[in-house]
Amino acid sequence: MKKPYLPILWRRLSQLLCFAAFLFLFVRTDYQGQDELSGAVNLIFRIDPLIALATSLATRTFITLLLPALFVLVASLLLGRWFCGWVCPMGTLFDWSRPLLGRRDRSLPAALPKLRYVLLLLTLVSALFGLPLVGFLDPFSILVRGLTMAIYPAFSLAIEKLFTITYQHGPAWLNAASEPVYQFLRETVLPFQQKVFTNVLPAAAMLLTLLALEWMQRRFFCRNLCPLGALLGLAARFAPWRIANRQPTCSVCSQCSTLCRSGAINHQSQVNPERCILCLDCLIHCPQQNFSFGPSRRTAFSLAEGLSRRAFLGTALTGLATPFLFAVRPLKRQPQPNLIRPPGALAEDAFLNRCVRCGECMQVCIGNALHPALTEAGVEGMFTPRLVPRIGYCEYQCTLCGQVCPTGAIKHLSVNEKQAVTIGQAYIDRNRCLPFARAVPCMVCEEHCPTPQKAIRFRQATVLNDQGQAVTIRQPYVVDELCIGCGICENKCPLPGRSAILVTSAGESRRNDGFTDTPGYR
Amino acid sequence: MNRRRFLQEAALWSLTFSLVLQWPFTCNGNRAKAQVAPARLPRARVGIARGKNYADLVRRSVTLIGGMQAFVRPGARVVIKPNIGWDRSPEQGANTHPLVVRTLAEMALEAGARQVRIFDRPCNEARRCYTHSGILPAIEALNSGKVRCEYIDRRKFVETPIPRGRVLKSWSIYRDALEADCYINVPVAKHHGLAGLTLGLKNSMGVLGGNRGRLHHKLDQNLADLATVIRPSLTVIDATRLLLRNGPSGGDLRDVRIEDTVLASADPVAADACATLLFGRDPDDLGSSVAAANMGLGTLRLSQIQRLEGP
Repeated sequence: MKKPYLPILWRRLSQLLCFAAFLFLFVRTDYQGQDELSGAVNLIFRIDPLIALATSLATRTFITLLLPALFVLVASLLLGRWFCGWVCPMGTLFDWSRPLLGRRDRSLPAALPKLRYVLLLLTLVSALFGLPLVGFLDPFSILVRGLTMAIYPAFSLAIEKLFTITYQHGPAWLNAASEPVYQFLRETVLPFQQKVFTNVLPAAAMLLTLLALEWMQRRFFCRNLCPLGALLGLAARFAPWRIANRQPTCSVCSQCSTLCRSGAINHQSQVNPERCILCLDCLIHCPQQNFSFGPSRRTAFSLAEGLSRRAFLGTALTGLATPFLFAVRPLKRQPQPNLIRPPGALAEDAFLNRCVRCGECMQVCIGNALHPALTEAGVEGMFTPRLVPRIGYCEYQCTLCGQVCPTGAIKHLSVNEKQAVTIGQAYIDRNRCLPFARAVPCMVCEEHCPTPQKAIRFRQATVLNDQGQAVTIRQPYVVDELCIGCGICENKCPLPGRSAILVTSAGESRRNDGFTDTPGYR
Repeated sequence: MNRRRFLQEAALWSLTFSLVLQWPFTCNGNRAKAQVAPARLPRARVGIARGKNYADLVRRSVTLIGGMQAFVRPGARVVIKPNIGWDRSPEQGANTHPLVVRTLAEMALEAGARQVRIFDRPCNEARRCYTHSGILPAIEALNSGKVRCEYIDRRKFVETPIPRGRVLKSWSIYRDALEADCYINVPVAKHHGLAGLTLGLKNSMGVLGGNRGRLHHKLDQNLADLATVIRPSLTVIDATRLLLRNGPSGGDLRDVRIEDTVLASADPVAADACATLLFGRDPDDLGSSVAAANMGLGTLRLSQIQRLEGP
């Protein structure tokens, strides 16, 4: 440990605090006892310039929700990629996973870092032409999605199992100690209810793969893949303050270039601002203390890792052409019956353009109703929210998903507006429904139907039961004009397996004018 | 530490630990004490109070049948089981009125209860129901360390045999409800699409785990079977508002009638029987009450019920 260790301590403290704040906001993304959430729990996405730029291009509007991203962009124009080294929770996770994975730097192709610019360009151009990719590449989308859908539920289940063992099999003295601990955990870090999610494994795999890539190279994702880092790197070219080497005294020992976690220092000990994340390691570890942070002249490094004109044009053309390939599939023309979007979701194309697949709506959904789609909305719609009523239903008086959506893909509705939104419609499967199929009385769907004027009602009918006797029984039917598609009927239907009352996206109100992506909205 | 030593120590510690945990005298185990219904019933008495002051109604109705001291012994662990089933406001009449619940908690404390627990397994999202029903805020306003309005903890459901059950032989039931010294059932009187009305016997479904929808087949006998193991010491029926149609969840204020009545009884069947009259119905209309009376769980005949109406 060399002399002035303090700057690195500051950076680590910043990383720790930002990560803690990130986790705090993540856990707070939940019902808090009032209809409206307090605090900006989705802040992490609203400060992300890549999301702001891509969704603005896709929707051709300026989304005011994403205004805070401008702050990060301006700060990067002044200080370079400080965000990557000091704030980004994904980067912090990479740094922290390093001791677990061991230090094994491989020599990788020199052209690899260009990839992040290719991905950035592809994301932006295809967004402009109607194919939103930002949700698959943005580090926060990958991180929050992985946490929401996989890590957090699994963590919660593991804790619950542990305390179930102590509660059910432990002696009284152990419970006296363990139960208060469990209550404390439930009130602080654990989710209120144990959730399950479709597509846990793809979401987890994406996050864990990025962590595993750390095994190949430190900050592999940040160096080679991250389009947000590429965008901030472009801004960093203009930064007046940066890390630089006082060249005349440098003996070019090259220790710094192997030390640098972002591969920003070349063998002449020059610092590439597009790569440098201001971790300050070189300031401390250079034996001659040749590095300093301060105002500096422009560098000689070529723009965007020297991405060739051919590569640039090729990427741009790919980004331009691919959206048209995707647009000629039948699912773009016909709504999918099994694709039920949350209440307040914009019309499908506008929705896909805005949705950044962050999973915030699924994290906050108190009914565990929203689940990541796999291919129900096309491959490009992977990880977008979809209501799966058999797993969870949409709570009648709840408007949380619209409140946390960082881009307005799901509108922020008042309770009254939300209750007037139809997200689908129920129909009864008479081959399974007990009063139809077996002449057995049942009214579970009707008793749960939340609309003041019930959307499920009964008719008296005389039918033959299993013994062939004629019995008079009340059979349910759905009033289409009143059904809003919340799915509680499908969810609570007591039949094992498939429900006898099913919800499809038929009749959803977002296909009408009220839910198109009108310019000037928010 | 080498591998051999590690394995030896691991084996030793696991053995010790499992022995300590399994020791018969220290293990509080998983045994739920299912109480069995008494064979001979005392003459059923139902206290009925009418008025606008709901806290006063509760006190008067319970006083008419002997006061809270008759049910809560000093140091008792009391469970109050209201209906908090729905994400509805008090005036919508789908949940027990918060004042009724709060007054019962206060009375239990006055009678010397060591601990009062209030819970229900709701149909809608639990936190929304507890908050929107007004029950959680009302209990928190009591600000007593002894009274807790708790969310259901799914670890506490235990599979409980129902030896006297005619249809239902066992079901998973909430442990706190079974182990309470005094279990106070506080249903709200309302319409129910299948059962006709939902009163005390139906309210017991709030302490059940599992897929409760399955019970709706042969609901009446199922409820009677459950009543053999879920035995409230006291039933207080909140008939301050009656949800007359579209129950049990309601949602339309036009379906609600203000009735300003509270009924209390130690006999769950008698309490339900008297409450049916408020809806202009006959106790025999309620299949669950008939089934329970047939099993000797309470008094259904109005002529055998002593109805004590306050001033």
